[in-house]
Amino acid sequence: MKKTFVVAVLSVLFVFVVSSAFAAPKKSSGSGRAHKNVGCGLGTLLWQNNADDSILSQSLQATTNGTSGNQTFGITTGTSDCDQPSNFAKNDRLNEFVVANMDNLAKDIAKGNGETLATFAELMQIPTEKRAEFYQNLQTNFAKVFSSEHVVLASVVDNAAAVAPKN
Amino acid sequence: MFTKVYGASRPVYLFFAFLLLLSFVSPSRAVFAEDSAYREDLVKRAKEMRLFEDRYWDVLLHYKRSGSGKKSLITDPRFFLSPSGKKDPGAELDATIRGFFSEENKDEEPPRCRFIARYTWLKEKLGIDETRLPATACTKFNEALASVNPKSAVLIFPAAHLNSPASMFGHTLIRINGDFQSDLLSHAVSYAAITDDSNGFLYAFKGLFGLYKGYYSILPYYEKVKEYNDMERRDIWEYPLNLSEAETRKMLLHIWELKEIYSDYYFFDENCSYELLFLIEAARPSVDMTGPLRDRMRFWVIPPDTIRVVREDGLIEKVKYRPSQAMRVQMIASLMEDEDQKIVLAIVKKAVPPQAVPGMSISNERKARILDLATELLQYKYARRELEKDDYLKQFLAVLNVRSTLGTQANDLQSIPQPSQPEEGHRSGRMVLGTGYTTLGKSLFTEVGWRAAFHDVLDPDAGYIEGGQIDFFSLRGRYYFQENTLRLQSFRIVDIVSLSPRDMFFKPISWKVNTGFDRELFRDGQEHLIYRVNPGGGFAYQNRILGLYYGMVETDLNLSGGLKDDFALGFGASAGIIKKITDSWKIHLSARSIYYEAGDVHQSMKASLTQNFRISTNNSVSLSLWREKTFYEYQSEAMLGWNYYF
Repeated sequence: MKKTFVVAVLSVLFVFVVSSAFAAPKKSSGSGRAHKNVGCGLGTLLWQNNADDSILSQSLQATTNGTSGNQTFGITTGTSDCDQPSNFAKNDRLNEFVVANMDNLAKDIAKGNGETLATFAELMQIPTEKRAEFYQNLQTNFAKVFSSEHVVLASVVDNAAAVAPKN
Repeated sequence: MFTKVYGASRPVYLFFAFLLLLSFVSPSRAVFAEDSAYREDLVKRAKEMRLFEDRYWDVLLHYKRSGSGKKSLITDPRFFLSPSGKKDPGAELDATIRGFFSEENKDEEPPRCRFIARYTWLKEKLGIDETRLPATACTKFNEALASVNPKSAVLIFPAAHLNSPASMFGHTLIRINGDFQSDLLSHAVSYAAITDDSNGFLYAFKGLFGLYKGYYSILPYYEKVKEYNDMERRDIWEYPLNLSEAETRKMLLHIWELKEIYSDYYFFDENCSYELLFLIEAARPSVDMTGPLRDRMRFWVIPPDTIRVVREDGLIEKVKYRPSQAMRVQMIASLMEDEDQKIVLAIVKKAVPPQAVPGMSISNERKARILDLATELLQYKYARRELEKDDYLKQFLAVLNVRSTLGTQANDLQSIPQPSQPEEGHRSGRMVLGTGYTTLGKSLFTEVGWRAAFHDVLDPDAGYIEGGQIDFFSLRGRYYFQENTLRLQSFRIVDIVSLSPRDMFFKPISWKVNTGFDRELFRDGQEHLIYRVNPGGGFAYQNRILGLYYGMVETDLNLSGGLKDDFALGFGASAGIIKKITDSWKIHLSARSIYYEAGDVHQSMKASLTQNFRISTNNSVSLSLWREKTFYEYQSEAMLGWNYYF
């Protein structure tokens, strides 16, 4: 009886301290891959270390600020696997921004305001005085711009361009 | 773009291969006698001007005093043009000037482009006639410069997240703003250790002893915002630096020099926060932050401390707060009725379709807020892998579709007061001088305590997260008047507590772990030194009247030669309440009971009441009272202490 107790308590201790305290960040995650292109549509989020699942490893990680992989001087996220929008095919920065922020962009368009939406408008070169109109058009046409959950870069940008105020 | 790491398609490679081929067939120009005379003349003049002793040369090469000479903190040999450059500023200066006349590429660029900050500075100091150097367009650098387009700089601090007090140690970054109005389109520069190790012991060990390579990186700021705000649930503080455009440009020149260059990463001192200060010094060499931080006889550098240093040097005037997704959820929820919050949960759990919201008999404002909060929660859950992608996408779009019919609502999140700024809190070191009385031996005592870092649950909360504690190297010594003896009372190597309240939307686990030497009562009725490992986990809740209250189950392992079988292993529980009575008065009432069933079998029960009164940012007074029963022996103690944070 006593032995079982010892084993149980020791295992709890062991599991907690060793696996939790010194479990390293998972190899396959980490910000190193955060800017890798993983798709052109919604939900293309890249997994970080799940902040709560290995609590103490998080502590150590935070202190070392370890990143795995090759997060160096990659400024771009890359859109080469995506179909390019017809109107803005050459605007790399716009395309990269949309691919990397599509969920937040959808959220802001539905709300009619927000930083991601403002950034999008700036990259679309919508004059400041026409932005309110642009935001409203986008909100009204939300269902057209984000026509399905499989929507991709090209159609989002092209559909948004279609409702942009005329100069 | 600096380098397009990913996604270069085949024709691009072919193009570069072609260029490479061209560079081989084009005849390399010989260095003429005239050039070499000019070159040696510059080397001589630089020596006469003693530029190798110049402050800016130290900054650009990261030279620090080392013994009688100097040594660069950068390890990568590619950073130096002279083989002895790491330790010899003079030789490095000579080699650098000679390098400007070389057409040999260093990392795909001629040295004058690769080390553009050194070149720019020396050109100005020595009046170098560029027409007498081999011609180069510095194409790569100029592309990067055009892409980043440096105008101003911002110091970025992603603060701690709720359930990981240690992330307070966190990270600092520098953001370089260009011409864009949107901050998201600026670039973030950070310094981090690169690792693929999955063994945690190795990871901690290597981090402590500088066995990882640290690299500078530059990424679009929106990537960093997503990383910290959306995925790691960390609030971001942004401190615009009052650097001019010319100064910011100098910073970028130096960042370019550090591209793909490594240094040994030490997570206590030569870490992200310390290394980034070099960038600020490269922009404005008149401030010296890396020197004082290094000279202050401490072996650690903590991000909030670096923000304090930068602020003391007069570079910071303003601050901007960017709440994390988790914080946004809490902020939006704080503006809502309970019943509306329940609808949000029902939508997220698919019990109520979002399409039902417009038909509810509540104001449009409330409807919009319900859907806004549902959106944030869905994103949050997806980021934490609590939702599958397909489910998330369907729900997310359905909610947004309905939301888009409800018009624009005023952004009232700005009216919610933001938390106190991290650098406004107490400094992270602590000294305690106290006096007290113990019933054990009926003696008065004086206690002296020293803690390396960082914050405990009773320290004043400003700038920190309530309920979060992380103490590193906390040492307490006592002098007992009755027995006329001096004793080590405790030495906690690490002592972490994370009390993260559960609410309708978040269900975090609270936890604690501490290890180190403590004094415990033995069956002889005396206190003896033990080594302890004490982890625990449980739940915490926040109540407007009670404050933060918690309960945990824990195990406790005590090791000591004085115990039967040299150890005692127990299992038990603890509970407590932490209440802020006023802004500067905090109390912590707690009780803990452990049944040691293995080794030296016994029981231990403790109850304590501790209080902290904040006097100023870096001074506080604490009063603690506790009573315990261990091995049928009773002990009570009272102590009054003065805490000074350094």
